[in-house]
Amino acid sequence: MIETYNILSPSFEREAPRELMLLSIISQSFFQPFSLEDNLLVVLTALTSGSGVGFNRAMLFLKSDDRLRGEMWLGPRSAEEAGLIWEVLSTPGIGYVEILEHNRALVNKNADTLSARLRGLVYPANDPKALIPASVAGRKEILHVREAAQEPRVDRRFLNIIGVDEFLCVPLVAGDDVVGEIILDNAITRTPISPSDIKLAGICGLMAGNYIHSTTLHRRLLNMEKMAAMGEMAMFVTHQLRNPIVAIGGFTDQLLKPDLPEEKRVRNLNIIRDEIRRLEVIIYQMGHFLKVSLKEPVFFDPAPAIAEVLDSPQVQSRAKAYTLDAKVDACPPKILCDPTSFGEVLRNLIDNAFDATPPGGTISVRTYRRSPTAFALSVRDTGRGLTNPAKAHLFQPFFTTKDKGMGLGLPFIKRVMDTCGGSVEVLSRVGRGSVFKLQFISQERESTS
Amino acid sequence: MTKRILLVEDEKPLCLLYEEELRGEGYEITAVTDAEAALAALREGSFDLIVTDIRMPGKNGIELITEIMGLRKDIPIIINSAYQSYKEDFMTWAADAYVVKSASLEELKARIKQLLGE
Repeated sequence: MIETYNILSPSFEREAPRELMLLSIISQSFFQPFSLEDNLLVVLTALTSGSGVGFNRAMLFLKSDDRLRGEMWLGPRSAEEAGLIWEVLSTPGIGYVEILEHNRALVNKNADTLSARLRGLVYPANDPKALIPASVAGRKEILHVREAAQEPRVDRRFLNIIGVDEFLCVPLVAGDDVVGEIILDNAITRTPISPSDIKLAGICGLMAGNYIHSTTLHRRLLNMEKMAAMGEMAMFVTHQLRNPIVAIGGFTDQLLKPDLPEEKRVRNLNIIRDEIRRLEVIIYQMGHFLKVSLKEPVFFDPAPAIAEVLDSPQVQSRAKAYTLDAKVDACPPKILCDPTSFGEVLRNLIDNAFDATPPGGTISVRTYRRSPTAFALSVRDTGRGLTNPAKAHLFQPFFTTKDKGMGLGLPFIKRVMDTCGGSVEVLSRVGRGSVFKLQFISQERESTS
Repeated sequence: MTKRILLVEDEKPLCLLYEEELRGEGYEITAVTDAEAALAALREGSFDLIVTDIRMPGKNGIELITEIMGLRKDIPIIINSAYQSYKEDFMTWAADAYVVKSASLEELKARIKQLLGE
């Protein structure tokens, strides 16, 4: 017999050893789609979740750009507030999600008091003469400070804010680096910090440090990818726009010269008009692709939309030089897609097929029912076909095999198909042609009888 | 003697514009729209200077320059491109000058004069 368990369990055993409880809360929260800030709040929560066990208050410093900054301070401001918080936290059945909600509200409530005072604290991160708490960021050791008022190595400004004589400084270690620091104290209960408290805080420091490190790396990576894509796009757009602009400018300069023959004047005006039209197309395509969100997909009858595209003057006029062979289900099931985007997708595929095929070739449009819930549409051409490297980059923005293409048609199609839970695939052989297959989620029509 | 320039530009309106404008400066222009036609022209005739685009269908401008070096090494080459960001790289591509395409052809004309020693 095999039993399966969910990797996440939102409630936890209150009787469990507190190291285990703490590990459970933190590791489970790192699984959730919480933000970095929320997960750091979870770490502070884990360290302060209970009157008898955890610490009373937790303060978070993070390192960025060689500075150590106070970020967040979690804990009650008074004994009364502490009583209320601990009552909430000991409610039977309460899980870490509820505790997190509660603490988020608490941090917001204290934003103008505790956290605001903390945010004023900024230290250079790598100062060898740094005082506590900044000195902790330079080493990988936990500092337990007692009789702080008599200790010259403690920063007075910090001491005035924290207002306690005993506290713990835990560095957040990630690999060779210290990414931040947590300060813990028992300002309300005045309970002395025990060796087991220190051990517990150390585990938290290690987990939080590695979490911050990996999250920051991931964010940086995403940002780099975004920047690289933006750079590529900017470069491509510059090139696409510059050529028509240079032609318009150059031929206009010629128009301004005296004694230009009438024939040349008309020619130049025609070129200028054509180039302006080209600019319009480029701008339209860019705007179309950059549209932030597509419409919600709905179930609709694709037959009229397919007929509209196939019968459109644009398709019909290009089809004169080709054989356009369409065998389309007259009574197809309803498919899931945004109807407007569906028309654009099909128009794009047919345009691509014409572009890839020399006049005289055949463009075939077919529909198939693959299963009661899957409907497919294919556009086949007898054109030049795609090489394997071209196939690999086909759905990347700005990749194009056309002389004047923008490389935005297929990425748009991919986006539409992803949004409606469908798929797009391509089969192609160099010299033989390509076939693009779209698969949609479908639904049989309701019986009319 | 009239100087001969080989112009390689795939955009037809631009090719026409450069051809007319440079002819207006008194040069003899052979204008082609791809690298293969440029190599054919080089095999058949002699030129004092080459002006080429980079991004072209088929062989691009950089590949063209590499092949030209194999043919005749002493013709000055100007890259005339819409890509501003490649400007730092042109020396490594063995070109003599890099001009970013502009509606004003003054910089291109000035570079041509400079390289032809006029």
